[in-house]
Amino acid sequence: MTPLTLTLRTRPAQEVDIGLLTPDGLQAMGRPAIEQIKLTCGNRSLRLHELFEVQGEDTSVIHIRRACDKLYGIGMAMSFGSISVQGRAGDDVGRNMRGGTIAVRGSAGHGTGRGMRGGYIEVQANTGDFLGGAEAGALEGMSEGVIIVSGDAGARVGDRMRRGIIYVRGNSGDYCGSRMKGGTILVLGQSGCYPGIGMRRGTIVFARKPAEISATFNSCGVLKMEFLRLLFRQLSNSYRKLALLRNIGPEAERFSGDLALGGKGELLVLHSAL
Amino acid sequence: MNINGVYIEDTFAEAFPMKATRLIITAMTLKSAYRAANSLTGFASSVIACGCEADIECDLDPADTPDGRPGIAVIIFAMSVKQLADQVLRRVGQSVMTTATSACFAGLRCEPSIKLGSSIRFFGDGYQIAKRIDGIRYWRIPVMHGEFVCEEKTGVANAVGGGNFLVFAKTTRHALTACEQAVKAIRRVPRAVTCFPGGIVGSGSKVGSKYKFMKASTNEAYCPTLKGRVRSSLTPEVGSVLEVVVDALDQEAIRESLRTGIETVCKFGPKKGIYGISAGNYGGKLGPYHFHLREILT
Repeated sequence: MTPLTLTLRTRPAQEVDIGLLTPDGLQAMGRPAIEQIKLTCGNRSLRLHELFEVQGEDTSVIHIRRACDKLYGIGMAMSFGSISVQGRAGDDVGRNMRGGTIAVRGSAGHGTGRGMRGGYIEVQANTGDFLGGAEAGALEGMSEGVIIVSGDAGARVGDRMRRGIIYVRGNSGDYCGSRMKGGTILVLGQSGCYPGIGMRRGTIVFARKPAEISATFNSCGVLKMEFLRLLFRQLSNSYRKLALLRNIGPEAERFSGDLALGGKGELLVLHSAL
Repeated sequence: MNINGVYIEDTFAEAFPMKATRLIITAMTLKSAYRAANSLTGFASSVIACGCEADIECDLDPADTPDGRPGIAVIIFAMSVKQLADQVLRRVGQSVMTTATSACFAGLRCEPSIKLGSSIRFFGDGYQIAKRIDGIRYWRIPVMHGEFVCEEKTGVANAVGGGNFLVFAKTTRHALTACEQAVKAIRRVPRAVTCFPGGIVGSGSKVGSKYKFMKASTNEAYCPTLKGRVRSSLTPEVGSVLEVVVDALDQEAIRESLRTGIETVCKFGPKKGIYGISAGNYGGKLGPYHFHLREILT
């Protein structure tokens, strides 16, 4: 069976919710049924075939071609299979995702991996705000899984994050790891102001010292964190994209905080050059 | 059956089921890892009085350890999962965590499992941090040298203990030389260890005693000084008997260890004072695993 390929015919004028188009949502559906799926575009309803050219049958492997930022909710709540996106993806990629793989060969919008509970998301370019963050009103953000961003990420990366790993190869915005409750964030570029503000637990690793660190974080000095050796080794073994972590040493300046909330979290600013 | 003039008795080694786990100890240097491993496996020759049996399995290259540092693999055996958990907690807590720069990881990842870092973490007095990487939970316990990193749990295997063979020699020097070479060869067999000091037993025992409070006592049938006084199993030319005991994670590793060990001993031959090979058993009443020497060697 060939993968189900959805090629966007023209860029829609308004946002289209394609959260249904997941291996879970399309399971056991034939191509005619898939083509008749109703999609909401602004205040109109469209049939899927009006928006996408449909090829292939294997709904566990979905390719979305010529994607644009108007397509939101890609891979929403999916639990298995894979989705690859060629082009830009809109907001909420992998929202509430439970398993499977999403690969975006371009940028993704805000809220990528929001409320994620498992699986793997890879974004080749940049993402917007609230990467791996919490759903509106939810007390916990990402609680399992791995997100890898090769470009930059916006503000509040991993807001309220509970578990899992977020890796940003480029820069991150302000308040990275805000209100974090656990998990690990790695930022290899420059981070914005006040990372980890309101964090209770969790680890944020920076390759460069963030622009501003909150007064509620205290430095423990430069230490050899043997745990980083373990973290970098395991991640570089498991994810090809993270192979460069293998060359990073364990020396880091450790800031413990947020001391206003128990101080069990940590910011680690690496000392060895990449 | 003879190998190089050494008589192989038609008998079997009787082994019994045990519970075992494998741990990986790493440190900044191999020397430090050895310090921790030697301490952990100290006073662990026999479950009769030590609570467990333990020994170093092998050195590990940095490429083969979870944190990329030099490491040592050790295997610990006990009679029950509860006893194993108790011994692992005591020994890792007192021997590994106290060694500077050390870390401890599971060498078996299977179910059932016993607590490792989950118990030791309380030493952190509330400052300990858990970190989950790729589905495996590690505990980071703040200590004076930095952090003691310890995996949450370690798997327990249904293992085999008490695989053995006896070496009949002209003198103790002859027996010791041959047995030392045998143990050296057995150490190359994966998943198997020799828990007694140097891997060699100088005081093999039988079950029970004339004294009611003794669980085990000297095996008089193999004591050269009792020849002529008791019903001895030794021929007149035999002046010393040593035993090599092997514990392993599976039967195949025991079989391979016994074969390797016996073949090494037999290379010495009668000219170098080695006359025969036998094995310790209790008539098949003690353990369900019977390793027949002649079958293993053919």
